[in-house]
Amino acid sequence: MAEYSPVILKGQQTSDDEILAKTPLDEKALGGDSSVIIMELLQRFKVRDVMKRQIICVPRKATLREAQHILKENRISGLPVSENDRLYGIISVNDIINGLDGGWMDEPCEAHMSKNLVVLEAGMPLSFALRYFNNYTYGRFPVLDANRKLVGIISQRDVMRALLYELSVEIRKLERKTRPEAEGGGASETKKNFFRKEWAVVHNDLSRAGHAANSIKSLLRERKIDRSLIRRVAVAAYELEINICIHSHGGVLVLLIDDDAIRITAKDRGPGIADIEWACRDGTSTANDWIRSMGFGAGMGLSNSKRVADTFNIASEVGKYTIVECIFDIPKAAEPPQG
Amino acid sequence: MTITDVVKILDGKLIAGDATSPRVVGAVVANDLMSDVLLSDYDDILLLTSLASDQAIRTAHIVGAMGVVIHNAKPLSETMIKVADDLAIPLVSSPLSKYDACVRLHDAFLAEERA
Repeated sequence: MAEYSPVILKGQQTSDDEILAKTPLDEKALGGDSSVIIMELLQRFKVRDVMKRQIICVPRKATLREAQHILKENRISGLPVSENDRLYGIISVNDIINGLDGGWMDEPCEAHMSKNLVVLEAGMPLSFALRYFNNYTYGRFPVLDANRKLVGIISQRDVMRALLYELSVEIRKLERKTRPEAEGGGASETKKNFFRKEWAVVHNDLSRAGHAANSIKSLLRERKIDRSLIRRVAVAAYELEINICIHSHGGVLVLLIDDDAIRITAKDRGPGIADIEWACRDGTSTANDWIRSMGFGAGMGLSNSKRVADTFNIASEVGKYTIVECIFDIPKAAEPPQG
Repeated sequence: MTITDVVKILDGKLIAGDATSPRVVGAVVANDLMSDVLLSDYDDILLLTSLASDQAIRTAHIVGAMGVVIHNAKPLSETMIKVADDLAIPLVSSPLSKYDACVRLHDAFLAEERA
């Protein structure tokens, strides 16, 4: 008998290609492990929140030499050619170098400016700007409003500055939330053990779905928690993670451990569940064939999570969010005799 | 019955994981629906499935399975093999159908009991 040789497919699974095509570039660039906060910032912030509004421009008839002086004095590397808020082109340092090289520095900008412009709209989410910086080699993009008027200019530096500022605000908020004792409050309620970790779950990225649950299981193992308890927690984490991945617009899975309990919380950004009772019943699902082909979508996710948890809470608002919380009580070890 | 025995019984190949793993099969679960697998209560499961995806491996890790067998010679992706290696789950590919694989494992268990 000929020796059996298994078939190994090179590269990603086929379904992943579709997912990658659908996944916004910012999520790809930042990786699946990116903080939800960053992803939310990229969606919440619009180009107009970050762009520079004071734009230094030149008219079409200005010479390249005039443009060169303006670039030098203002220490910038690109100059929109604009009149009455209408954008005609951009003069970059490269155009100046070409002018010096070719000897046409006294000719008008309109003859040598870049006219094939890539522009951003003020109302676009910041994730678009990041995508543009990734896809094109330009260091800055002019920003137009809905009436095609030039209203600003955005560079990578503007994006970085805005993100760093907002991140420091968010991190401060998080620090306050996770270390209440540091703020001088709730000292009497401080538990001895406290551990919190959160994982971002990206919509439709089934190649990574389960990653958080696998990490949770490994983390609990390191803490020497009872094996059957670990398995129950891991099952709930896995089902909830898959749920966020296949049914929601994306969200986050949170692990919280203290002296008394392990909590798994799954929060997503919608679309929400209209009939929670129906959704929690065995065998009811809104999953499609693709999800079924991946081994899920039999309508067991919520009921399985409920089955393994000591306490199960769910809240949802259609169009907004779903939050599922599974609480697992940690059995108290027998108290050693005192004295 | 260790993973090396499973490979022999099912005419298979070990694609990922440690061939010298001392863990023995506690129960065989043959299922393509991962939620069903998560529901099972056995320890040291050998998971037989035709679901050749990362999710089969991740599910196996969650339930503490001792190995995964993909039957019907289903093509395996490199990502699946990587996940199996990362999570240290032995992954076996077998040319047998799910039914034939179950019958052979059953016979092998009976023989083991008689021995």
